[in-house]
Amino acid sequence: MTQTVERAAVERAGTTSTVARTFVQRDVAVGDARVAIDPRVKLAGVAVANVLMIMHVAPVVQMVAVALLSVPLFVAGKARAAVRMLACYALLCAAQWLVQMHVDALPWLHIVGLTANGVAMMMPCLVAGAAAFTTTRAGDLVCAMRRMHVPDAVVIPVVVIMRFFPTIRRDYRMIRHSMRLRGHAGNGLALLRRPVRSFECIIVPLLMNATTVANDLTLAALTKGLGTCARPTSMRTVRMRASDWAALAVLAALVCVGAAFA
Amino acid sequence: MTEERGERVADAAMCALRGCTFEYAGAAVRALRDVDAHVRRGEFVVLAGRSGCGKTTVTRLLNGLAPVHVAGALEGEARTAGLVAGRADIGAYARVVGSVFQNPKTQYFQACSTDELAFACENAGVTGDEIRARIARAARRFGIEDLLDRTIAELSGGQQQRLAVAAATMLDPDVLVLDEPTSNLDADAMRALHDMLAALKRDGVTVVVAEHRLAWCADLVDRYIVLDDGACVGGYDAQTFRALPAQRLRQWGLRALDVGGASAQVRRKIEETRARRMAATGDADGTPVLSVRGLRVGYRARSLFGWKRTPTFAREIPDLDFHAGRIVGLVGRNGAGKSTFARTICGLQRALGGTIAVDGRTATRDELSRAAGMVMQDVHYQLFSDSVRGELMLDGGRARCDAILGDLGLLDNADRHPMSLSGGERQRLAIGTALIANKRFIVLDEPTSGLDHGNMMRVGALLRALADRGVAVIVITHDDELAAQWCDELVEFT
Repeated sequence: MTQTVERAAVERAGTTSTVARTFVQRDVAVGDARVAIDPRVKLAGVAVANVLMIMHVAPVVQMVAVALLSVPLFVAGKARAAVRMLACYALLCAAQWLVQMHVDALPWLHIVGLTANGVAMMMPCLVAGAAAFTTTRAGDLVCAMRRMHVPDAVVIPVVVIMRFFPTIRRDYRMIRHSMRLRGHAGNGLALLRRPVRSFECIIVPLLMNATTVANDLTLAALTKGLGTCARPTSMRTVRMRASDWAALAVLAALVCVGAAFA
Repeated sequence: MTEERGERVADAAMCALRGCTFEYAGAAVRALRDVDAHVRRGEFVVLAGRSGCGKTTVTRLLNGLAPVHVAGALEGEARTAGLVAGRADIGAYARVVGSVFQNPKTQYFQACSTDELAFACENAGVTGDEIRARIARAARRFGIEDLLDRTIAELSGGQQQRLAVAAATMLDPDVLVLDEPTSNLDADAMRALHDMLAALKRDGVTVVVAEHRLAWCADLVDRYIVLDDGACVGGYDAQTFRALPAQRLRQWGLRALDVGGASAQVRRKIEETRARRMAATGDADGTPVLSVRGLRVGYRARSLFGWKRTPTFAREIPDLDFHAGRIVGLVGRNGAGKSTFARTICGLQRALGGTIAVDGRTATRDELSRAAGMVMQDVHYQLFSDSVRGELMLDGGRARCDAILGDLGLLDNADRHPMSLSGGERQRLAIGTALIANKRFIVLDEPTSGLDHGNMMRVGALLRALADRGVAVIVITHDDELAAQWCDELVEFT
């Protein structure tokens, strides 16, 4: 689905690029030197969400947490994803409430209630994770990690993972297409009917592709001097601002309140 | 040989190979045999030669990848801007040589385009403010403002390659080395690449391009160095090279210096095809294997709730018939809807409107997928088995499988792993999977991208053989030489 949007973006860019090229002289602002929300705050959000889940906090605290942790999504313009996650959470809450109303008459509703409860407990983590990893650019994350003195042995793999992420969906689609033309598992149901064979059909080309890409990437990165400088720099400046400290304080408060109402 | 080969010239040269013999680790054959060559400061040199002639190896000696990071044994000396291959550190090379590779999809390291431009600078320890200033400068210099702050995976191949050139020049290198940079590009993208290299040449950057396609940069080249089978066949200044007979270029496996003739022939064939379609009434040629009527292809974007009513991309397709035994070429710029059309007739995506018929009967998506075979540009996505024979046995019996492998010249490799085959062999194997499943029509997506003249002709002959088996062959191509020489009909997408 997003693939189609992406492709549309490419098409649009194709037509506008010639237009854009005629305005060569205009000044370009390269990105924003500052980052809206510090990636470290988002990572703290993920940590807090996990703590809350382990603590089994009260439903009210859980609701507040989900609402707060979805804020970065709205800030980064990912309202669609945020609304979808919040709607999902609302449904889960509604399901729990309905189950509580009727469970005396229909004991089997317990299963539904328990499931809804379990998924709802994971929601703060899912929201925080989505906020941290879909709204942060690889460059910012790298800069944040370098400022925290994370070694290159951790930083470079993270960059590589973020590099591969957008291409996997495309690879997967290409493979499903060729499987369909070969008459293997044309639709999702058939995929489930022969899971092992289907898994093999998907994973083998994916890995083969990853191997060739990894080879090429290594050479390209070497010619750009990756890992040859003792002190690599970062284009962006990631700095904690007042709003970031405030956000951290709110997260800390959330943990305290959660502990009180556990 | 017209070039002087004095010691002094070589000393003044930006890049110099002296008696270079190179053998890749684990390979039995020598990739280079006693190659002497040099490139002067500010020169634009093309390393020309067929696939496997050793030109990629030369670029790897020039940018310091070989013999250390691409392991192998080097005799002789390869020197670039004072750095000696095998002795100098790759980090030192990164500051004086910029490198651009063949495949635009596999040479960017970052997900975001601006990060990719910053990448080399960050690795070299340039300050943040300076990096931003340099990116702004590069964007203005090459006119790529529209490519900043984009997800690179979403860019077209041409845009990715422009970005790669810009990224390779971020440390203001003395030399830029490009290894078959145009093999995945259409005519517009090649022109854009040409303009970038022209700007670099104006600024005095030494440019070395390994290529067998010669037309796109012919006006920029100062000198050609021709390689064949690992040996340097000769060095020619641009004028002498242009005067060489076309036959000679072809013997070296090179594409034409001037594709004007092929382009004119392509235009003529497009007109002929259009005229024939206008004139044709009824089914003079019998029932077409595939025919489309009033077809609209495209896709819709997803909105906040469900799907958007109006499609984000839509193209009207003229009414077309595809007959058994014919090769029909689909040509036109990127984004004109060729691939979307191909996916639609293969039943891989829903049409927005109109009908598609196979053998005269309107077909559903499932029926289309059963009738269609496809050879993708990235063939490795479509091979699932652990041996060549196994790949075909997924769909048929041993006897037929071996017959088809024999026809495709793959029988000797029947027990090998598909991934160990060469690109051309893999492509033939993918065609084999379509043949054994008795597909009615086969769509090939850019089957000749990156191929030298000999291999292009081989693919053309293969298409003809396919058509002669009674398959309708549909080929998407930017390759004017293939379209002009091998396609029976050409349809232009606009």
